[in-house]
Amino acid sequence: MIQINNLSKIFRTDLIETHALRQINLQVNEGEFAALTGPSGSGKSTLLNVLGTLESFDQGDYLLDGRSVKGLSDRELSALRNEKIGFIFQGFNLIKDFSLYDNIELPLRYRGFSSAERKRRVEQSLETVGLAARRDYHPSQLSGGQQQRVAIARAIAGEPRILLADEPTGNLDSLMARQVMELLEKINQQGCTILMVTHDPDQARRANRHIQIVDGQLNDSSMYEPLAAGA
Amino acid sequence: MEALVHNLKLSWHSIKRAPLPYALTLLILSLGLGTFFSNATLYYWMNRDPIPEKSQTLFMVRMNSVPGDCTDCFEPPRVMSYMDMQKMSGSGITSAEAAMYSSNAYAKTVENQQATPSQVELRVTQRDFFKLFNVPFLHGETWPDNNARMEVVISKNTATKFFSRTDVVGQDMLIDDQLYKVIGVLDEWSMLPRLYDVNGSRSAEPTEDIYLPLETAYDLAIQSNTQNSFFDVDWDGDMATYPQMARTNFVNQLQFWVQLDSPEKVQQYQQYLKNLVQDEKAAGRHTRPEGNKLDNILNVQKALRATNDQLDAFALVASLFLLVCVVNASHLSLNRYMANQYEFSLRRALGASRWQLQSQIMADVLLSSVLAFVAALVFAQLGLWTINSLLPGTRALASWDWQMLSVMALFVVLISYLVTLYPALKTSFSPLNQQLKQ
Amino acid sequence: MSVFLIIKSLLRRKVVTALLLLQLAVTLGLVVNSLLLASAAKELVDQPTGLSLEQILTVWVKPTSKTLRLQPALTDLISRQLTAVRQIPGVEAADFVNQIPLRQGGSNWNIFERDRQDESNVDSVPYYYTSEQIFQVLGVQLITGRLLTQQDWGIDNILLTEKLAKQLFAEQNPIGKVTNNGTVVGVVSDFYSQRYASHPFYGQIVFGPLHRAEQGYQLIVRVAQGQSEAVRKQLTDVIRNAEPQMDIGTVLRMDENRDDVFRSEIGLATLLSVLSGLMLLVAMISAYSHAHFHALQMQKEVGIKRALGASKARVLLDVLSESWLTTAIGAGFGILVCYGLNISLAKVISIPAVPVWLPLLTMLLLLLCVTLATWYPARIATRISPATATKTL
Repeated sequence: MIQINNLSKIFRTDLIETHALRQINLQVNEGEFAALTGPSGSGKSTLLNVLGTLESFDQGDYLLDGRSVKGLSDRELSALRNEKIGFIFQGFNLIKDFSLYDNIELPLRYRGFSSAERKRRVEQSLETVGLAARRDYHPSQLSGGQQQRVAIARAIAGEPRILLADEPTGNLDSLMARQVMELLEKINQQGCTILMVTHDPDQARRANRHIQIVDGQLNDSSMYEPLAAGA
Repeated sequence: MEALVHNLKLSWHSIKRAPLPYALTLLILSLGLGTFFSNATLYYWMNRDPIPEKSQTLFMVRMNSVPGDCTDCFEPPRVMSYMDMQKMSGSGITSAEAAMYSSNAYAKTVENQQATPSQVELRVTQRDFFKLFNVPFLHGETWPDNNARMEVVISKNTATKFFSRTDVVGQDMLIDDQLYKVIGVLDEWSMLPRLYDVNGSRSAEPTEDIYLPLETAYDLAIQSNTQNSFFDVDWDGDMATYPQMARTNFVNQLQFWVQLDSPEKVQQYQQYLKNLVQDEKAAGRHTRPEGNKLDNILNVQKALRATNDQLDAFALVASLFLLVCVVNASHLSLNRYMANQYEFSLRRALGASRWQLQSQIMADVLLSSVLAFVAALVFAQLGLWTINSLLPGTRALASWDWQMLSVMALFVVLISYLVTLYPALKTSFSPLNQQLKQ
Repeated sequence: MSVFLIIKSLLRRKVVTALLLLQLAVTLGLVVNSLLLASAAKELVDQPTGLSLEQILTVWVKPTSKTLRLQPALTDLISRQLTAVRQIPGVEAADFVNQIPLRQGGSNWNIFERDRQDESNVDSVPYYYTSEQIFQVLGVQLITGRLLTQQDWGIDNILLTEKLAKQLFAEQNPIGKVTNNGTVVGVVSDFYSQRYASHPFYGQIVFGPLHRAEQGYQLIVRVAQGQSEAVRKQLTDVIRNAEPQMDIGTVLRMDENRDDVFRSEIGLATLLSVLSGLMLLVAMISAYSHAHFHALQMQKEVGIKRALGASKARVLLDVLSESWLTTAIGAGFGILVCYGLNISLAKVISIPAVPVWLPLLTMLLLLLCVTLATWYPARIATRISPATATKTL
């Protein structure tokens, strides 16, 4: 699903070069639920952004679903993002002037789906996250957990190959966090690959693979037994 | 006081944080205000009451007495004949009355006969002119009666220009080669708009240099340089016969002003004119329909269609431009306040009352007003300059007095407040929790 | 983004949107009417006058001594002045005239055919007291009959302009007709005579001496092509040398006289054009600062959209189409404002009715301005790294 070889990313300012990612090799297989952990500044967000094609990289190669993203134009990258990747952010990042429906529909518009198809998908994904009754609400009328569920609905509406989640429960209390995690597990079980950045060891343990990153380098990524699956 | 200083400081900081948006808001606001002020200045001078202490009592008389059978000519001519003037004079109802017209001539002093004469503006008029319009005398006085006499009243500037001093009563002057004695010198005097003679859209011109007795002018064939209409006049152009001809024909060039001290007097004078027309009609004259006009001095521009239409049109447009700018500025200031909303909310969360926030806003308004006022004055000055160079006859209308300046300043504060009002209310009264949550 | 979505998001910001629309509407209305006035003034100024404007100089003069202003001294004075002026190199012809064409104000007579006063009377026709070289100076052509000559001096024989002859006599031969002002001996081609006469192209010419010069008179000079500035430089001195006791006005070329006549219209049109420019500037500043102010808010939105798969071009189009739509709606209301304002202005001054294409053209102009002003902030918005924008602070 995801394959990166010897990938490096360097942030340059006038004075210093920071190696955010050094010679990383990583493979994420289809259907995996991988947790990415690491201390602050270790480069986990950068890695996630590179994987999401939100940021470019300097060396190495990155194959997404078997296709190299190197040298793709902005338009091609955007289309790739739109079709294959779903994002979930810590801060939800819903557009506040839009209703839930419009928020979820937005990436589908970029995809060029017919309005009937869009409607079907929006309704289906709202159903999945359990917010079908509130489709005309605006984000500000929802709780944080609900907002994150909307963001998840938006991410999955396009049926992406992979979901990239950056601390999806970071702004939520434990009850809401659990709901969101359960939702993600459900989505994973339906066949969607998930890569999740988290700092919470419990959550990392719930994933079926744990990848650690320290100082821009991956620690030996080891497979966890899915200890608490369904707990 | 200390709170005000503190608030002003805070305002200044918030400006400094985002100077460009603030500068643009201020620019737009002062552009609109400046344009509006420049137009309002002209408009004010054109439409103000130049003689508020007695404007209610001053009237210009017109009569529809010109020959011809025209049955649907109801509007009397702008100027009247000597014959009309004679019939209207001496009614006993008015407390002052004078006929007049403008002309020009070349003048020099007797001592300096070899000098090139300079052109002077003449007002040909009668004894009561100075009383009618409260014209102040510095030396001497008006003529004792309305008879012809080689005596003139001159303005202070004219005295200084020709004699290099003001006390010149008794001195002689050559006006168009005729010798006159100066019997009075006026004090500084101007009338803006010059409502006693608006014919020919000349209401923005300065008052005249020399005042000459009407009968003398007729004797010497000095004609009006504004409007001189001959109706059915058969004259061979022989100047020797002019005085007789001009007094006995419809050679219309006079404007006739009266002072009527009460509404009853106005009524009486109207009746007097009515009777006059009836007598004339009985005598087989005054063949056109009765069309007496007794226009108050404040309506005379309209009555003679001497308003500056271009200025009116521009006034309309300038007001709309102000509207656009105000709307624009309030839009921008809304944006500005929205950007500061977080800070506002934070301050409220820290315990600032709405009143304290309001006074912060008032400090904002105050600061903006001062800056906008200065910028608006600059733009207004530029605007006046442009208008003066583009529209004829507006040059005399471009100055400000303290009263106008203070009205403008008040206006700026009001507009600044309006511009800030909605954004300020929105920011300080919207629910607190919602803003902090975002 | 779909129109529907933009409208929806505009409706969520009612006050801001209303302010924006109001401003755009009034701007369109004002710009349209200003353009209209400006074009009307230009048309007025540029209309054919029948005169070679660049080759005619005029100068107003008035003797400062009373005796010189009366006959017989006056005729002698004028002939001395003309003799001197005609000797200036580059002068092709010169004459005196009581008033010049084009110039506002002046002396008019009514004119009618003796036998048909009621039907034929024309109220206000400028008359020109002048002599033989006037035709060469004005460059008018003889249409029918003959020109006036020295033999007509002081006799009531008159020439009419073509339009006046048509008005008085329709299709009849005007030659020999008797009017209250004299017998018609010829008809000359039309020239712009006086703006507020019964018709601007009506004029009547007689040969004869001025009775007096209390209002002064004009000297009018035809110069060879390209010589007007050279002659203009000398003219005042030559006239003063011929007679020192003269008040001499400014020497004006005929096109300067014309500009003077239409000065109010030109002035207002210029003023309104300046104001229109300012208004477009204000609209641009407004669009610019709107985009600028919303940069922060937009940054996040743009970041989200980029993360969701919108390309830079798409985002740019989104931002621009929002301002296009707002401008278009504002301009739509503006069309109403522009007709309303046109009606109000027509009550004060003469202004042509609004042609249908003009508001549309102005709308395009407004769109162009707004696009220009939004472009830069919009470009900046698309450059925002989606990774930063989507990060929670």
